[in-house]
Amino acid sequence: MSSDPLEIPDVLKPIENLLKGVTVMKPGRVVALLEPGDVVKAYVALKARYGETGLYFSTLVATDLKDEGKIRIDYYINVLEKNQYVVLRTYVPRDDPRIESLLKEAPAALPGECEAYDLLGVVFEGNPHLRRAFFVPEEVAEKDIFPLRKDAGV
Amino acid sequence: MTEEVSKVDKVVEIPMTVEIPVGPQHPAVHEPILIKVYAEGEYVVKAEAYTGYNHRGIEKLAEKKTFYQDIFLCGRVCGICNAVHADCYVRALEHILNKEPPPRAKYLRTLVMELERLHSHMLILAVTAEIVGFDTLFMHMMRDRELIMKAKEIVTGNRVLADYIMVGGVRRDLNSEKMDKLKKILTKVEPRIRYYWRVFEEDVTLNKRLVEVGRLTPAQVTSHGLLGPVARASGVATDSRYHDAYDAYAEVPFRIVTRKEGDCMARSLVRFEEMQVSLEICRYILNHLPEGEAVPDERRLPRRFPEGEAFTTVEAPRGELTYYVMSKGGVNPYRVKIRTPSYNNIINTVPFYVGHMVADVPAILASYDPCISCMERVTVIDLRRGTRKKVSVRDLARGEA
Repeated sequence: MSSDPLEIPDVLKPIENLLKGVTVMKPGRVVALLEPGDVVKAYVALKARYGETGLYFSTLVATDLKDEGKIRIDYYINVLEKNQYVVLRTYVPRDDPRIESLLKEAPAALPGECEAYDLLGVVFEGNPHLRRAFFVPEEVAEKDIFPLRKDAGV
Repeated sequence: MTEEVSKVDKVVEIPMTVEIPVGPQHPAVHEPILIKVYAEGEYVVKAEAYTGYNHRGIEKLAEKKTFYQDIFLCGRVCGICNAVHADCYVRALEHILNKEPPPRAKYLRTLVMELERLHSHMLILAVTAEIVGFDTLFMHMMRDRELIMKAKEIVTGNRVLADYIMVGGVRRDLNSEKMDKLKKILTKVEPRIRYYWRVFEEDVTLNKRLVEVGRLTPAQVTSHGLLGPVARASGVATDSRYHDAYDAYAEVPFRIVTRKEGDCMARSLVRFEEMQVSLEICRYILNHLPEGEAVPDERRLPRRFPEGEAFTTVEAPRGELTYYVMSKGGVNPYRVKIRTPSYNNIINTVPFYVGHMVADVPAILASYDPCISCMERVTVIDLRRGTRKKVSVRDLARGEA
């Protein structure tokens, strides 16, 4: 990972005004740092520029950064026109992880959001399908344990 | 539910696996999944997915094991496409280590992954035939699939779980004798694949059951993140071999197979044509295998990893498979995220069953290439009589439920 500021790559021009920073993840993925409230706006702007069939939502990765008191949420989007992976990266507080759901704009985010809620406790506001025990066993969900948190004791 | 009872005659529950005791055959959904289909008469009016029956916690387990142990763990996410899982994970490690495998190893990895695509496609096409009632075709295709399994054994030493890919290369090299055997197998299997391809195109029953069934538009494919042959059969040219040009795909000539129809038949025909492309890739590799070392000295590999992260993709037989690996330094990964293609293809396609006939559900499900053990048991609930009975997917597909 490089933390040096980079020039804004072409693929991110449509969301230039929302960017808080740009980095690169190996191999050659452009990472756009955003405020949590701007992720949906950024996706909408990318979709408006590249078209509904010009990109697709690929993967949602939520990571517990316990030492920093944050949970990092990465949205991986494959921009087919540019043949380029874009990562929308944002951070939410670990003690109250909430972010607007991307579901209305990208139905493909459904399993990723449900999984991140079930395993890490990230609440995607506006997603009506969130429920515990989507993946984890019910006895774990009943104890209010989020297994992928570093202090889950699993 | 009470309101639904008054409107709905029958509820069909399809527990699709589930797993995968012998290695999740379903790469994406690491566990069993239940798709509930609500039918009105013969037509589906609502569908829901329920997951979590056998979550194995592989991502959490991966954080507890070392980077190297996780190669074997990742290889066991899926029984059928285990080499692509290992390749995707290992390439993420190589990016973090700044390590480049030698060209010969890249070609051999590609060879094994294409053999996997061949036998995976043959399996799902055989199962598609079985589900629509063409058992003889299933038997013949599975017999010929054994040839590919043998080829994989010749290269990796194992028919199924290869454990072939390692950081910096592969575990075994090929000699000229093995290469001759592989060429003979490819020569033998090619006409068989062409024959089955023709059967799919011309057989009346297969055409009746698959053509114009389960149609998906390009916009549905991209908005729902559908991948692999499912996307390509609807005209969306997405293929990680092209997008990322990993391993030897930057050098080996191949083409992305697409069709425009977007129905179950198109998905089957895309797989047939992809098998043809895979055969060409395998043949090219055997004729152009670079000289040099392919097997690294394991003792020289670093035990501790530097800080870093990588996001790698691979075109598994079912579509794009992604791995995210994060290292904070040390011997264990801080985070490993696996997103298998079926994860998208099965969960996200649930709304698209609506409007189809119940008997088409298994054919559509098979066309998405899910884990077969998931579909083996189906429960039909008659809401008027309050009875439940279990039937096989095959009987359901034949309208005998």
